[in-house]
Amino acid sequence: MLPLTLFHLFLGLSVSLLGAFASDHQEETVKGFFGRNGTSQSTHTNNWAVLVCTSRYWFNYRHMSNALSMYRTVKRLGIPDSNIILMLADDASCNARNKFPGSVYANPGRHLDLYGENVEVDYRGYEVTVENLIRVLTGRVEPSVPRSKRLLTDEHSNIFVYMAGHGGNEFLKFQDNEEISAFDIADAFEQMYQKKRYNEIFFMVDTCQANSLYSKLYSPNILATGSSQVGENSYSHSSDKDLGVAVIDAYTHYVLELMEGINKTSQSTMQDLFSSIDPNKINSHPGVRSDLFRRPLDKTLITDFFGGVSQIEVVDDEEGVEEEAGLVGGNGKDSVSSTAPAQASFAIPERRASHSKRHIEPVSNTSTTSEAKELWGWVGSSTRAWGAVALFGGLVGWVRMRS
Amino acid sequence: MDPQNDLAIPSGLRNPADLFFQKETIRRTIIASYWITILLALPLWWHTTSIERLPLPEARVYHQVDKPISIPVRLCLPQSNTDLSSRLQGALSARVPKGLEVVVESGNCGTEKDTYVVSPGPKKIVRGRHLTTPFDDLEGLTQTIVSLVAPSDVEQEKQTRVAQFASRYRLAFSLLNEDASSGNGVMSWDVQKGIHQQIQPLLDVLKPLHNFTIESQVQFYAPLEFDLRPTDSGFGLSYEDLTVFINSAEWTLSSSASNDPVLHFILFVPSASHTPLRIIDSKSSAFILPQWGGVSIYNTPSIWSTQQLSDRGLQRAFSTFSTQLSYTTWHSSSPEDTGLISQWQLDALIRRRMLETAKGTRDTLRSFIKLANQLENMPVREDVRNDIEGSLDALEKLYNSASTSLSQSFAYSAEAFNLASRAFFNPGMLALLYFPTEHKYAVYAPLFASGLVPLFVSALRELKAWKQQRAQSR
Repeated sequence: MLPLTLFHLFLGLSVSLLGAFASDHQEETVKGFFGRNGTSQSTHTNNWAVLVCTSRYWFNYRHMSNALSMYRTVKRLGIPDSNIILMLADDASCNARNKFPGSVYANPGRHLDLYGENVEVDYRGYEVTVENLIRVLTGRVEPSVPRSKRLLTDEHSNIFVYMAGHGGNEFLKFQDNEEISAFDIADAFEQMYQKKRYNEIFFMVDTCQANSLYSKLYSPNILATGSSQVGENSYSHSSDKDLGVAVIDAYTHYVLELMEGINKTSQSTMQDLFSSIDPNKINSHPGVRSDLFRRPLDKTLITDFFGGVSQIEVVDDEEGVEEEAGLVGGNGKDSVSSTAPAQASFAIPERRASHSKRHIEPVSNTSTTSEAKELWGWVGSSTRAWGAVALFGGLVGWVRMRS
Repeated sequence: MDPQNDLAIPSGLRNPADLFFQKETIRRTIIASYWITILLALPLWWHTTSIERLPLPEARVYHQVDKPISIPVRLCLPQSNTDLSSRLQGALSARVPKGLEVVVESGNCGTEKDTYVVSPGPKKIVRGRHLTTPFDDLEGLTQTIVSLVAPSDVEQEKQTRVAQFASRYRLAFSLLNEDASSGNGVMSWDVQKGIHQQIQPLLDVLKPLHNFTIESQVQFYAPLEFDLRPTDSGFGLSYEDLTVFINSAEWTLSSSASNDPVLHFILFVPSASHTPLRIIDSKSSAFILPQWGGVSIYNTPSIWSTQQLSDRGLQRAFSTFSTQLSYTTWHSSSPEDTGLISQWQLDALIRRRMLETAKGTRDTLRSFIKLANQLENMPVREDVRNDIEGSLDALEKLYNSASTSLSQSFAYSAEAFNLASRAFFNPGMLALLYFPTEHKYAVYAPLFASGLVPLFVSALRELKAWKQQRAQSR
């Protein structure tokens, strides 16, 4: 009796240990997925990007391609379209002067078309105004604005804000019509901070005298960088002979050059990004403002802002278990449902696999029987159809032969 | 003197000295009228260029947000003595999170509703608000009760997948064929039946918390925007592919007709050339995107297109959706997670949401007042003030009623939260842009300077002439 009990005990213990080990292993695999965003101490759970090109007209082609190449970069690194707000005047690609209609290029050799496929522009043309930008940032949109045009961030979101266009000392020109000042941007960020709409913001500006645009910020957790100091212009990089306009700005060009070497798992830091820009090559002195940013720049990953952290969680579905329960009787799951027989009002129809920690055995033989059943069903229906046709043909023939 | 030598003016002409056609009084009246118009128009200009900022009930807000909220949880042990109940109360008060106040009675359980009854028994059985559990030791009993009353916060990862609280949710069920023309399209599904069987019970249970609207659609062409990697048994999706699976640029997933948050549930049918599609390193073919919804992949068993999704496929899909929905609407963290919601768990969820919305309301009100004081250019209008006052009233009602009915106080806290959010995000509250004094001079000077200079000069001239006249006539 005793050895039998001991044997049973040993069996039970080893099974439970194995089960625990299996779930631990699964959990570790899942954790390994989650830990992909490196060893950064950032506590964000999702990424957003607001990319604004504030100029219009054909001769400001390069601002359009600045914003579009940033859009391509953040999409490539994992931020989905639903998390990107792209504001463009969008008049370059289908412009009558564009020799290559429907495309926007960022380098003189026209190697990569930025505009061709799968571009979702949220605010285009005359909708790119200062008021709309402030509304998007602060969340004070009209109720009729659709959800794809809203910035639906929460307190765990990292936001990358990029602005390109013509600017000056503490202002940025919007579409030759109006201007936004550094104070407005600072107030907008403060309102976002008060309503806990961001975890950290990375604010990048590529205009003339760009460093003055972030000089008035006063909310915490913002890292800002600009392409030129007060009194300096930012220059374009190169122009294309066939298009006839400058196609990219110098600062953005070198930023993108660094980004080419970054993929989703890269461990490059912000310090690498800032030190890779050479003032001699771009003919202006970029600046960085990190006093409001609480993490050191050499521990902040580029993918914290440019890449999309998305914690997908794989949940069990019933593919394996359902058939087993249907055929065998679901013996393993009876203990689950026995604890509450009388809770009629709160019982959900029994779901046999509900917790992601349990280990589901693969059952492959039953899937073929279901396939066979569907096959048989199809054969049956086509037989019936042909049989009906044959019957009808027979009837018609009989009538003809009689008469 | 000879009267003929005097300057005799003929009767038709007039004395040149009197020929000056401007009468002084008329001239002065004209200049004065310009000045009076300007003075009368000044208040009108002031009124139309000032920002409407109604006074906000600051003191009331600060007073309200500092009050702590405590939700009572009443337990009753009908078969025990007061000693055990007082010890249990002490142990529980130390373990439950802030905001809950545990009261344990013994003996005759009163007729108050919302009281939980705990009685000893051989096995752990939960039924309604009644718990039967072995009373072996205080620690185990405390542990059990705490896990039912206030399930401890789970790890960070699980917590972020629960959607933020909103009173109204839209559930969007989509059947997406990657390419129905490739041969294996699923043309329709009996979504009503699936919802009725699997989703509706869960929605009925969660009715006191959220208001759900359901919409569904079928799409026949929903391409993926990345290349699938072939595996030995078909095609596989890696973790990175899952993060970019949703091609929101080309899939229209939900109607944007309302502002309520949407939870999407997608049943994706890969095209015939991409079947079977599995997730690498996993047995399952469904995954959740936190705060967004869930996706389930259905590999059609045949390469012919089917008119309607098979019953088995429908049932499997909707039970997966039901799991995903439960994960995104509540923290399923109880150790005895049987997949069924008991009244204890529902109450715990209501309490948790109540604390969350009360805290959110207080934070919103506090930061709203701070912001209104900080940005002087921000207009505060009538509807915003009404919302703030309504939110404060609801918060007050919440404090008063927190000790009576749980669902009623939850309704108050949800109302307070919604009103405070609506006030904070009111689109009319856009802070007027920054106008420094130099800008104001630069705008007004070309408009008004050319008109005002002649007015000033002529007024001064008239004054001088008038003073001279007065001095002369004395």
